[in-house]
Amino acid sequence: MTNQPNLPPAFADLAPFLDWALPTADERQQRRLAATSEGLRAFYDAVLPRLEDILSALDEYPLGALPEELRPLYGIALSLAEVAPHIELYGGAVGVPYAFEEGRFIAVHGGQPTWQGLQPMGFQ
Amino acid sequence: MNAEHRWLEAYPELGSGPISTEPYISPDWYAKEKEKIFRKVWLCVGRANELPKAGDYKVKRLEAADTSVIVMRGKDGQIRAFHNACAHRGNTVVTEHGQETYGRSKAAVVTCRFHGWVYGADGALKSVPSEDRFYACFDKQKNGLAPIHLESWEGFLFVNVAEQPENSLAEFLGDYAEHFRGFPFDELDYGFTYRTELECNWKVAHDAFAEAYHVDTIHAGSFPNVFSTGLQNVKLMGPHRTCAVCLTLDAKPTPVAGVANRIAGASLVSLRGESMLPPLINPDRRSDFAFELSVIFPNTLLHISEGIWFTHQFWPIAHNRTLWEGRYYVKAPQTNAQRWAIEHAMTLQRNAWLEDTATMEDTQRAMQSRAKSIQHLQDDEILIRHGAIVVEQFVNA
Repeated sequence: MTNQPNLPPAFADLAPFLDWALPTADERQQRRLAATSEGLRAFYDAVLPRLEDILSALDEYPLGALPEELRPLYGIALSLAEVAPHIELYGGAVGVPYAFEEGRFIAVHGGQPTWQGLQPMGFQ
Repeated sequence: MNAEHRWLEAYPELGSGPISTEPYISPDWYAKEKEKIFRKVWLCVGRANELPKAGDYKVKRLEAADTSVIVMRGKDGQIRAFHNACAHRGNTVVTEHGQETYGRSKAAVVTCRFHGWVYGADGALKSVPSEDRFYACFDKQKNGLAPIHLESWEGFLFVNVAEQPENSLAEFLGDYAEHFRGFPFDELDYGFTYRTELECNWKVAHDAFAEAYHVDTIHAGSFPNVFSTGLQNVKLMGPHRTCAVCLTLDAKPTPVAGVANRIAGASLVSLRGESMLPPLINPDRRSDFAFELSVIFPNTLLHISEGIWFTHQFWPIAHNRTLWEGRYYVKAPQTNAQRWAIEHAMTLQRNAWLEDTATMEDTQRAMQSRAKSIQHLQDDEILIRHGAIVVEQFVNA
């Protein structure tokens, strides 16, 4: 059985959004595309006020050395980066308006767990 | 002087007439471009720091030059390039996984998967299983990998597949090399790559990125309220070209962008400083300077800005099919928050590129309908005009 992702007690209020706690850019993009406008808005409104606190908590550890229990919190913050333009610029649209087909764009870094801080270009 | 026609007045030799769409849709024209351009000139295939250690290699497909190239660092530190073709029966030596394949060999060798022939990073054929069963006419010394000319500039690796290139890389780049010299490309080495195959001619893709006239319409979503003051400092340098793009940046960023800009400044819409720009870039130190937009002929767009640089490359696959690669580089993050802020900047940039690429396949289809046989360019589309003229000069040379 896999462990359910969890959040530190100080961020327990974000538990309803644990399905956004995704480690890779590809998964966060897929989650956003599968969301509704209302879902994006609810996530954005809940996480934005906690963003600075989240980033401070994460920065108690060096890049690449985030303990496992903080990785879901990082995933939520990264999902906010993915979602924010859709609330702040695109009126809640889940896709980028008037754009090329997103599914055809390949992100070379798309499968990397972001918390590891690897070179995104694909070479090591 | 007519301020609306300042680039025509600066470069009257380019003329002002309409541009034919035929070079964008003709298979015959594309065949000539392959022969007269892509098999003759220097092409940028990567950066030296992608191959930090001896034995690191990268294989890049170059369909427009009918080959794929192995770029490999030897134990002597030298980077060399070879055709990815085995001297035995022509199999690719390094098995490719798509358009770009990275690998590492501690022994600094590559081995053909078909029959196990082994080549060194200097291209020499080192080992042939059952060598004694070949005949006297087979000479191991003469059957190394076929070399490709490779030279570098500011850490960029260029190859030239011509048997004898017509010029050195330095001669080819000319004044362009001086214009960009000194920008800290190597310090900003945290690079994201997006790629896709576009159903359009490579010049359709080039043209869509080589002007700022589209910013107010195409990027109304991702980069709103950046009223464009147009191009500045247009400079044509042989087949290459550059200009400054000036944008009036929104004074008040959106909430998440505000946090991200404060942490990393990795976005094009964060405030621009001028601490790392070479002296020839934005020489008047205009406060509305956003980035330098340049083209290394034929297929590389290089942009630089404070703390950021990015490239677009357009690799022709057919007359109406192109591999597009967008790479975006910033300083490597030191903290989790910086990595987060870079993710935000990159997401915004990806979305802008999704907007940029939206028009290209429609443009190609419309051109192929032959409903219109010419296109009209305004003064701030001079980079496109120059590009079309240079391509024509090469093809008809």
